[in-house]
Amino acid sequence: MAQILVYGAVISAIYAMLAVGFTLIFGVARILNLAHGAFYALGAYGVYVLTAYGHLPLLAAAVVSVLFVAGFGAAMERVLVRPLRRSTLAVLMITLAVSLMVEQVLLLIFGSEARNVPSMVDATVAIAGVDISGQRVIALTGGIVILSGLWLFMQKTRLGAAILAVSQDAEGAQYMGIPSDRIFSIVMALSAGIAAAAGVLVAPFQTVIPGMGLLPLVKAFAIVIVGGLGSIPGSILGALLLGYTETIVAFNISIEWAQIVSVAAVLITLILRPAGFFGKRAAF
Amino acid sequence: MRSMIDWIGAGVAIAVLASVPLLAGSNYLVVVLTVALCNAMWAASWDFMSGLTGRENFGHALFIGAGAYTAGFLNTALDLNPWWGLPSSAIVAVLFSLVIGIPTLRLRGPYFALAMLSGATVMQSLTIIFSEYTGGQDGLNGIFPILDSQTAYYYLTLAIAVATVASLKFIALSPWGTILRAIRGDEATCQAAGINVSFYKITALMISAAFAGLGGALYAHALLQVGPDLFAVILSINTIILVYIGGMGTIYGPAGAALLFSLLIEKLRFLSEYRLWVYTLILIFILFFLPKGLVAPAWVWLRERLSGRRRKRAEDAVA
Repeated sequence: MAQILVYGAVISAIYAMLAVGFTLIFGVARILNLAHGAFYALGAYGVYVLTAYGHLPLLAAAVVSVLFVAGFGAAMERVLVRPLRRSTLAVLMITLAVSLMVEQVLLLIFGSEARNVPSMVDATVAIAGVDISGQRVIALTGGIVILSGLWLFMQKTRLGAAILAVSQDAEGAQYMGIPSDRIFSIVMALSAGIAAAAGVLVAPFQTVIPGMGLLPLVKAFAIVIVGGLGSIPGSILGALLLGYTETIVAFNISIEWAQIVSVAAVLITLILRPAGFFGKRAAF
Repeated sequence: MRSMIDWIGAGVAIAVLASVPLLAGSNYLVVVLTVALCNAMWAASWDFMSGLTGRENFGHALFIGAGAYTAGFLNTALDLNPWWGLPSSAIVAVLFSLVIGIPTLRLRGPYFALAMLSGATVMQSLTIIFSEYTGGQDGLNGIFPILDSQTAYYYLTLAIAVATVASLKFIALSPWGTILRAIRGDEATCQAAGINVSFYKITALMISAAFAGLGGALYAHALLQVGPDLFAVILSINTIILVYIGGMGTIYGPAGAALLFSLLIEKLRFLSEYRLWVYTLILIFILFFLPKGLVAPAWVWLRERLSGRRRKRAEDAVA
């Protein structure tokens, strides 16, 4: 029982980081970013390269990797997505193309075998009688810190207020002198950075392979649909629900069935309450 | 006059395809073309649903894989006559389309695209998780051929593919297809006009799924093997790229693109690991510079030339 509580919390924190970034860029810019999983993979590979070849200390490698992916996200938004913004299908296709491209580049450079990233700490900690590796604790606390930081940023700063304004009405915000195009780039960088941070935090205990971004992307969809597309509190709640349900299923039934939870959750949500928990916009 | 040229063009294309086994010295080209015809069925069926109604399907591989695995199961696990695989694969694919389509196609927004993508991805991981039944990464092997000779099987596939493209195009040109295109134009207006929009979208998805599943079964019996790659995202993307190259909403364009492109890819085999790279670059190029595609506009241009008219009208590509 305690085991489920602790492990579920770690998974939920990672899912929440992925889903919040995904829902943020959709809520603000209406961009459905299929390259979100690629950001996660890039973050993990970034920290691998910087530690294994650059011999940077882990923390520095993590920061550099996150900043790099954030820049990559902003560049992608500016160069590839913005000219095609008018067509949803084209945006979906171009972000998917980016995600395939990233996976191919990683495959060509690093091959398909899994890479090992050293843990930030080697110790194991006991929480409520459950032994858990220190890295998982770091992932949990890192997730909580980043998400609270994001919340403070959105609530307390001028830029955060501008982002909220654009998400409510991009055109109206533009009339108020908020440059929505620049906001889109900033939000894409933010969303990419958070996804990369999730990748960095899980890299030591996950298999780092070029295709590692695909399943988290699917999980992020599921969470965002359960929580309501475009809602940040919704995606945190959705992440907790999905993270814990998966952990409970994995512990009590089998890891295999845990994979089906996300799809089942999506279908149930769409049948019962298509807008999700906190979806503001009517989905019909 | 112009529709006359269309008929002649279709006739010439079929005649060329039918004469390939007679002219080609090797069986290899015949097998490549059989697979190309399956690709043509997948691209045309994708285009029927998504090209006409504008609802992006990002997991067409779900139907393809479902069809192929159904054919494989019936043949390897139940020892049924391979012919049974064809109708049953279409039926199973339609069931999958209902599971995803009924909850998601009633909604506006990206739900359908996301659900299809996740559905296919999860099916792919399920085939690996339940490997005692599905053969895991190796897939199902030892599927029997439907017909003994590869040439005969090629003609069977050709007949089914031609029938598929013809019937999809026929529906697309009928009043039914007009409604689907109207839904792409303005869903709210269609609803206001008393059209049951969800019904049309779901039925279109069922039709699309049936032909995709059938194509999957034909593919399984051509290669005598199915694997988890048939559910892969890359297969869905490949199909969408073919539709883009062909010209969205034209049905014949994507089918033609599938045939031409498969031959081109055979020529590009030396690129091996860079192949996906080339794919994605082509995709990005087309998204930016050729939003109307290549094959259908080329045919429209040729037709205008043949009918003696100098005026080039790009809108014809849609008609």
